[in-house]
Amino acid sequence: MLAYVVRRTLYVIPVVLGVTLITFILFNIVGGNPVYQKLGKHGSEAEIKILSHEMGLDLPLSQQYFFYLKQCVTFDFGRSWSTNQEISSMISAGIGPSLSLAVPAFATSVLLSIFIALGLAFFRNSIIDRVMVVTSLAGISISLLVYIIFFQYFLSYKLGLFPISGYDSTWSGRWEYLLLPGIIWVITSLGNEVLLYRTIILDEIFQDYVRTARAKGLSEKMVLFKHVLKNAMIPIITNVVLEIPFLYTGSLLLENFFGIPGLGGMTVQALANSDFPVIKTMTYVGSLLYVLFNLLSDLSYAFVDPRIELD
Amino acid sequence: MKKNLKTLFIFSLTSLALISCSNNKGDSRYENYVHEAIIANVKGFDPVASGEDLYSGIVMGQIYESLLQYNYLERPTHAEPNLADGMPKISNDGTTYTFKIKKGVYFHDDPCFKETNGKGRELEASDFIYSWKRTADPKTHSDTFWIFDGKVKGMNEWRDEASKAGVTDYSKPIEGLTALDKYTLQIKLKKPAPLFIYFMTMTGSVALPHEVAETYGPELQNHPVGTGPYKFRSWTRNAEVILDRNPNYREAYYPSKGEESDKAAGLLNDAGKKLPLNDGVIFTEVVEDQPRWLNFRKGIYDWINIPKDNFDSTVKNGELVDEFKNQGVVLTKWVDPDLTFDGFNMEDPLVGKNKYLRQAMSMAIDTNELIEKFYNGRAIGAQGPIPPTLVGYDPKRIDPYRQYNLEKAKELLKKAGYPGGKGLPEIVYELNNGGTYRQMAEFFQQEQAKIGIKIRINMDTWPEFLEKIKVRKAQMYGLAWSADYPDAENYLQLFYSKNASPGPNNSNYNNPEFDKLYEKASVMLDSPERNKLYQRMADIVVEDCPYIFDVHRKPHVLTQGWFKNYKRNFIILNYIKYYRIDLAEKAALKKKL
Amino acid sequence: METPPVGLWEEAAQRFFKNKLAVVCLVIICIYSALAILTWLGLVATDYSVTSADSYAPPSKLHLFGTDIFGRDVLLRTIQGIRIAISIGLVTSLIAIPIGVFLGALAGYFGGRVDELIVWFYTTMDSIPDLLKIIALTFVLGRGLMSVYISIGFTTWVNLCRLVRGEFLKHKTRDYVHAASALGAGHLRKMFVHILPNVFHIILINFSSRFILGIKTEVVLSYLGLGVEPGQPSWGIMIDDAKLELARGVWWQLAAATFAMFFLVLAFYILTDALREALDPKLRNKT
Repeated sequence: MLAYVVRRTLYVIPVVLGVTLITFILFNIVGGNPVYQKLGKHGSEAEIKILSHEMGLDLPLSQQYFFYLKQCVTFDFGRSWSTNQEISSMISAGIGPSLSLAVPAFATSVLLSIFIALGLAFFRNSIIDRVMVVTSLAGISISLLVYIIFFQYFLSYKLGLFPISGYDSTWSGRWEYLLLPGIIWVITSLGNEVLLYRTIILDEIFQDYVRTARAKGLSEKMVLFKHVLKNAMIPIITNVVLEIPFLYTGSLLLENFFGIPGLGGMTVQALANSDFPVIKTMTYVGSLLYVLFNLLSDLSYAFVDPRIELD
Repeated sequence: MKKNLKTLFIFSLTSLALISCSNNKGDSRYENYVHEAIIANVKGFDPVASGEDLYSGIVMGQIYESLLQYNYLERPTHAEPNLADGMPKISNDGTTYTFKIKKGVYFHDDPCFKETNGKGRELEASDFIYSWKRTADPKTHSDTFWIFDGKVKGMNEWRDEASKAGVTDYSKPIEGLTALDKYTLQIKLKKPAPLFIYFMTMTGSVALPHEVAETYGPELQNHPVGTGPYKFRSWTRNAEVILDRNPNYREAYYPSKGEESDKAAGLLNDAGKKLPLNDGVIFTEVVEDQPRWLNFRKGIYDWINIPKDNFDSTVKNGELVDEFKNQGVVLTKWVDPDLTFDGFNMEDPLVGKNKYLRQAMSMAIDTNELIEKFYNGRAIGAQGPIPPTLVGYDPKRIDPYRQYNLEKAKELLKKAGYPGGKGLPEIVYELNNGGTYRQMAEFFQQEQAKIGIKIRINMDTWPEFLEKIKVRKAQMYGLAWSADYPDAENYLQLFYSKNASPGPNNSNYNNPEFDKLYEKASVMLDSPERNKLYQRMADIVVEDCPYIFDVHRKPHVLTQGWFKNYKRNFIILNYIKYYRIDLAEKAALKKKL
Repeated sequence: METPPVGLWEEAAQRFFKNKLAVVCLVIICIYSALAILTWLGLVATDYSVTSADSYAPPSKLHLFGTDIFGRDVLLRTIQGIRIAISIGLVTSLIAIPIGVFLGALAGYFGGRVDELIVWFYTTMDSIPDLLKIIALTFVLGRGLMSVYISIGFTTWVNLCRLVRGEFLKHKTRDYVHAASALGAGHLRKMFVHILPNVFHIILINFSSRFILGIKTEVVLSYLGLGVEPGQPSWGIMIDDAKLELARGVWWQLAAATFAMFFLVLAFYILTDALREALDPKLRNKT
């Protein structure tokens, strides 16, 4: 057991290294030169040389890579090319809004999905089940962009139910601006989650021990909630844990459209500005979170479920 | 099931509770604050780092001040004293400027003034020298250095020395910048530069205290301290900037005279009143048109330039529709000194060396349709490089190659050696991605297709776009240029060969005859002789067609009924102090929205 | 020599065709594909780029879905959009499937160092958020449809690789493979002639789901300005245009693109699900 834990934990290192290598290759080697946007309208050849040197762009690639590695390890990512702000402070400024949107929306959609999935499992093979499945699929067959455009126009503008966009950084003021994006988030995630959880729960229902429980005379409801749900929670939780790393980017599109100054919006801006240090950092942090949560989920799985085969 | 329901219920209740006691900008604290939407994200408030960025410049224009400013009401506008006490004395040979600084001007209170316990220090002439040295400091990589570059005696030498040494020594003097005494600044130029007066109004020339740079270092860009009518309060990235009225602002007053039409327009109602006329300003960064428009309609923003997609429902036959009038909204029409154009890279072997090709492409574009479709008719077709409102603009000029004439265009194309477009390879057009630019590029594509020319459009991010132009790899590009100062030279310099990439001459145009005229005019003051030279230069550029001149935009602005003293001039950045909010009207009108 | 269960495909087909809904979806997809081929051959919707003075005309008898800003018929543009959507599914499959299968086969079959290396590689690739990977590649490759194909193709093979690896791991110890070795079959032959056919059903399911991913991703890329080049009628560009148009009451371009996309994507979802049910119900949790 301990050997597994150690091995699994250590495995994180080569993966993270791999991530830094790939992001480095993508962005540094083929990334382009930020010098021109800093020079403004009246640049000169001399300035270009000086600035390139300052930014370390004329160093050999291997040196640049080690410098980047150092940045990744110390979490000091330097400054944005377009705004010259410290990237770490940009991130700490952006986390608040992103999580304020992501956490409530995610929690709501997970709870709602489990609730609905349980219901569907209860009513399995009935009309309700089939209709809900197709409805869920229909829901995810429409692009997120369409939902955003439509709801912003219809609910915010035409009906005036929500603010069109913007944000209030005070704790009480922000929720009014996060409500519509949150609702859209929930609507667009429900489809996937309901289907997934329904499948997981159905799988459990067909297991032998369920048949045994029913044979013992337990009511369907009891079977569902006492046994099935408990056991289904393991894969469900695993899934939820694996989704968490993606919360931090909020939703790129939602933040962008609704003017929420979170990490997702920051990333979209960085894209429009070819701001590679920011894009690199977001990629790295995202990967790091994913790797860590994967580790967490694998380890907890190993502890919780003795049926799992340790690799 | 029950457990989940309960959680959901509690969650919804809490959210609703939180929302109902939400605290937003409808708060009475901000009632007397100007609320302005800016259409791009702000970069920071260090005049040296973001001085060339228009939107950062707008915010900085309220916080910092320069020696001179533009007159708010008179047209054409001209430079007048701001921090300077009177206009400068200029020596007979035009190379020495002596400015007297106003006495009793204080910087904003800030903890960086440790010696005075946070109270702002008095402004002195040496502060200008320090601020300008910052633009010349190679370490700051300032994009505003160009206003001093090659002009002020000793400045380039100071900069080169600092470059070589690798360390910048601010104590080393610059020959052309001396503080004759605490309140007198003397500038020595290498040769006469009549436009130098304008440079003394620009963001790159503002005064900031050395204490703030020494205390905050590069974080100065998030913590500006100036002498202006507004103090920096906060900046929520990509969201908003809040500035408060500076309680220690010096004595400055709303102008008492302007143009003839100003009195009737109510623009002199506040004549003689002490500035600023409001308690502060909130700038909200809203890139997307729709949210900005919708929030204006709700009464959140005080004014807006009508976005293209909302125009038809707002203005009919040049008049504001009743729905808006009933809410007290006012429509005003303006002309900006701006020019949109499609530029050719004159060093490109295909388009740069073939004048007839360029002229053919220029005549294939139906400018009227362009103006209808993308500007709702709110633009004038450009007939040359010099836009309206600038000294040197000739409203009677006709550009023979900017008339829509497909037959002529086809003829020219034949002369160019590609009858019907045969044998002509695809021409690549670089464009900065965003808003309606893509559709405008598609329009360009379609127009050129009418004479058989194939265009491929590349959507670039701004840095990619700039890079392609600055390394001279772009074949064609779409851009706009807005005036930095009210003289046509600002546009003619775009064709001066010495300004070629990476300078502002993005087309790398090189014409010795033009250069000679340009150099001659650059040392002349405004006069009929100089104007003749300007027109000759414009003639040359029109014939050679390094740009297809598109339009000059005519903003149609809506202002809320309670918002007073709006008078637009693109070049003026420090305008917030003149705006007044009529609180009674605001309370009454807001009910109608 | 034990050959793969002959009855698998017949059984699967039986199960599949019993599912009436799935059959309907298959038909829908065929109609779309036929339209795509016809437009590609230039036989249908050829006037999609014909401009007219009738800018932003609402739906009428002449223009069933109205016109856009240049007076172009929206319905025709939507049909052209099918071509791009289907081509994205096809081309990205042509890129991603070979990569996924090849790497998965190598890893599962050879095990050891090779497996470790490949698993490390795809774990690393998988850790990077999908959208960022695709965006990074489009930056590097420049804009345009080609880049969209390549960037989606090169970043979405991981899932398939995992599954294929799993299958190869399972199968390499099976009797029929041992038998093949005994008959002198080399590695390549065993991998691709014997084991691979057992993996076809996974590839088929993956192929079907790929269209969904490709179509949805193109929409997001076009919004970000990283999609197809201007001038090409893709649903993503139509939806991007729509965000400005809606404010002036022009809803038809958004409606046309959304409906077209909706039916195609939904059909693929149902088809993919039905394929899974038919071919291997046990795979439901993994693909």
